Amino acid sequence: MKNLHHCSATELRNAFLKGDVKAVEIAEHFIKRIDQHNKELGAFLSILGERALVKAEHLDRKKAKNLPLGKLAGIPIAIKDNTHIAGEITTCASKFLSNYRAPFDATVTKLIEQEDALILGKTNLDEFAMGSSNENSAYYPVKNPWNPNCVAGGSSGGSAAAVSARLTLLSTGSDTGGSIRLPAGFCGIVGFKPTYGRVSRYGLVAYGSSLDQIGPFAVNVEDIALTMEVMGRHCEQDATSLDFPPERYELKKDIKDITIGIPFELLEGLNEEMRANFDQAVEVLKGLGAKIINVDLAILKYTIATYYILATAEASTNLARFDGIRFGNRATSAQTLEEVYELSRKEGFGTEVKRRILLGTYVLSSGFQDAYYKKAQKVRTLMMDAFDKAFEACDTIITPVCATGAFEFGALMDPLQMYLQDIFTIPANLAGLPSISIPSGFDKRGMPLSLQMTGPQLCDVDLVQYAYAYEQATKHAKIPEAFL
Amino acid sequence: MKDLPYDLWEPVIGLEIHVQLNTKSKLFSSAPNHFGDEPNTNITVVCTGQPGTLPVINKEAVRKAVQFGLAVKGKIAKVSRFDRKSYFYPDSPRNFQITQFDYPIVREGSITTHIGGISKTFAINRAHLEDDAGMLKHFTTFAGVDYNRAGAPLIEIVSEPCMHSAKEASGYAQAIRSLLLYLDVTDGNMDEGSLRIDVNISVRPKGETTLRPRIEIKNMNSFSFLEMAIDSEFSRQISLYLNNPHKTHEELIPQATYRWDPEIKETTLMRKKESADDYRYFPEPDLTPVVLSDEYIDQVASTLPELPYERFNRYLSDLGFNEYSATILVGDKQLCDYFEDALKICNNPRLLSNWITIEFAGRYKETGKSLLTSGIPARHIAKLVQLIEQNKINGKIAKAVADEMVANPTLDPETIVKNNPDYQPVENIGEIEAFVDQTITENPDSVRDYLAGNHRTFGFLVGYVMKLSRGKADPQLVNDLLRKKIDEKKES
Repeated sequence: MKNLHHCSATELRNAFLKGDVKAVEIAEHFIKRIDQHNKELGAFLSILGERALVKAEHLDRKKAKNLPLGKLAGIPIAIKDNTHIAGEITTCASKFLSNYRAPFDATVTKLIEQEDALILGKTNLDEFAMGSSNENSAYYPVKNPWNPNCVAGGSSGGSAAAVSARLTLLSTGSDTGGSIRLPAGFCGIVGFKPTYGRVSRYGLVAYGSSLDQIGPFAVNVEDIALTMEVMGRHCEQDATSLDFPPERYELKKDIKDITIGIPFELLEGLNEEMRANFDQAVEVLKGLGAKIINVDLAILKYTIATYYILATAEASTNLARFDGIRFGNRATSAQTLEEVYELSRKEGFGTEVKRRILLGTYVLSSGFQDAYYKKAQKVRTLMMDAFDKAFEACDTIITPVCATGAFEFGALMDPLQMYLQDIFTIPANLAGLPSISIPSGFDKRGMPLSLQMTGPQLCDVDLVQYAYAYEQATKHAKIPEAFL
Repeated sequence: MKDLPYDLWEPVIGLEIHVQLNTKSKLFSSAPNHFGDEPNTNITVVCTGQPGTLPVINKEAVRKAVQFGLAVKGKIAKVSRFDRKSYFYPDSPRNFQITQFDYPIVREGSITTHIGGISKTFAINRAHLEDDAGMLKHFTTFAGVDYNRAGAPLIEIVSEPCMHSAKEASGYAQAIRSLLLYLDVTDGNMDEGSLRIDVNISVRPKGETTLRPRIEIKNMNSFSFLEMAIDSEFSRQISLYLNNPHKTHEELIPQATYRWDPEIKETTLMRKKESADDYRYFPEPDLTPVVLSDEYIDQVASTLPELPYERFNRYLSDLGFNEYSATILVGDKQLCDYFEDALKICNNPRLLSNWITIEFAGRYKETGKSLLTSGIPARHIAKLVQLIEQNKINGKIAKAVADEMVANPTLDPETIVKNNPDYQPVENIGEIEAFVDQTITENPDSVRDYLAGNHRTFGFLVGYVMKLSRGKADPQLVNDLLRKKIDEKKES
């Protein structure tokens, strides 16, 4: 049996099912790794060691009795700390919720639990999932396992770093504008944002409801497929959940007949190194038999503006419930109702969250709503139309995940510069499309780079297959040396 | 009240009626939709706005809204949508209400009702679904919030500004309430807040066609308060215009929200609207649009019950009622259904109606009970009326039987009559003839007076016969026999 954290999730599950390893050994191994490394990485906000051990013992007993075991049996998994586990604290990396104990399980948690995964803990994020670097966590930033001076990306930075450093083999994230794909890219692992509505949002603390989508992080595409078979289910408690039966993710390497679209116009600003990495990926795909065409997505130049109007508008109302009345932080100095609202929120929220609430409130205000919110909705519709048109001619659209690899802490102090990190990832959220981030090599600093593949709505399975073909042909993914 | 030239002015009134639907669960959560329980017991994580929760529309509420829309002959939107309406208040768990702003489920309906003997039709602008807020409770040292009501389903019915008197406004509101009760979409209980009325009112000199500034009176929960509030506001606004001829309308009637103070019987200012409230409406991203098919709408339409105005017309045309009795019965849905129930085995609707709305209602007046809660089955009232109809008992005995029915609600009137010898009808004409003969013999003076043209003595003679029969004789028969015998005497 090889080192447990050198396995993929699927390998580890198979080893457990074969009896090569006990669930308790798995749980102990990974909890130990978290204890060893979390101080330096900051990937976890809470560690649920006790819970994982209890579950592991339960699984070992089931195994001993030859009882049926779930699809994720014995696989260690971490949950982004904006997604509920009943009875555990959900902080959303905000001071406001430092004491908030979730009164119910998120649907995703329930499904993962049912399929016998070992939930190890809750991972760090940008406060309320607002950010691209994880520097907005109210507790501590997440460091990139490839270089502690670099960010892990955001907002699901903890989930990405934890898998990258093999403190867990699977994790969940939420992706509103790239919050799964960007940190997956920065940390050199695979991250998948499914079609909007594929995974239930029930139990995910909302940021931008029409954009939010839960998805998995894993060390390879096969594990993504496995996790999606568990998470991708219709949910009665989420009105936007897609009402389809769960899908089977059969993986095949053959992408001979597919057509890949590239919005060349949008790639003009890439630096040489990034362009070279991307071109290399294109060559690989061509080599696998894919046909390459140009697609016109010029409308995407309005991506950042459109997103920061719509997402913040929704966020400003989603976060209105954090008022200090029923749960979360209540300012002890508050004397009046107005002060309960003002001071509790002032104390409880960080700068970026306040900035987005202000922006969202502004764009919805009467007198400004037509110029901002309603116009942005129209642009969103045009973007969907442009994607529809593009997908008439191709099966998937590829770009880099980001214009650079992971940057250093404090490098992007201007919020707008930070917002631009998501320029390639946001469109999939605006159009509700499935989109995946797969390692495509390293930059000259040795930081991981990644390719993004985006598919038409509902074509999650196809997209994961394309990503699998690319991955099998390249095998860029590695374990960072410090965490071998 | 000051002496104002009311005749020269008219109020312009529009109503917004908030109706709590009587669904099993709330509009967006599975919590029970039930009034009067211990605070914060009928709640779930959804209706208290816990982070991570999502709303899911209650189909029963949609159906009830569609029923209402069809009943007022409105246009049912095939696609309607929910919006977030943002404002901070502790009774609002998410600090936004989920309502239908741009695309309500019902548009452009109307309702017809009789007001002061005249049939009037009022235009309804729209009706939309939304969720209710919780309730703030103030204690001596603190305030608490009860979220039992938070998330309860409401329809808000918005009329056009088409009413021009307190009577019209109240008549319209009563017609709406009655319609809703017939549809069984609400319990209509105004004391418990199941039906709350906001009034928008302006005044203008008759003949003026433009609208002057209006104010809003919030949360009226009785029709009489509604009328009083409108009358009070009518004179307040008129006197402002008359006493300040040089000020602009907007200066005199600034946009504001009032409430009716039943103690001082005046509208009192709640808050001025300095600038229009900004609720920042935008489409609720957690809910998909409500899409209704033609088949669905037709299916709901086919299950609509008889509506109050249809029933009213039927009572006039088929049952021969006058407007007054029809209004009394139709206006009280439960009583009217009780009447309908009794009517199944009774063929004298007017007599039946009298017994229900006058005789029995009178017997329960000031007892705190009513015929409906008495336990007397409708068929027993019908049987009582049958007994009268078939001349088995006379009116006097019927009243005595009714008294016994009130005392013993489960007793069948036929049994009551059978078990009491005093109630046995005197069916033997011979027996009555004997009483008549005895009466004529014992009262020669009265007979003579009658024959001399003093017809009032006839009544005395009838009474004498009735007394002899111990009230059991059929008065009509007594009349006939007595008249015949005296006439015979005259001829002889």
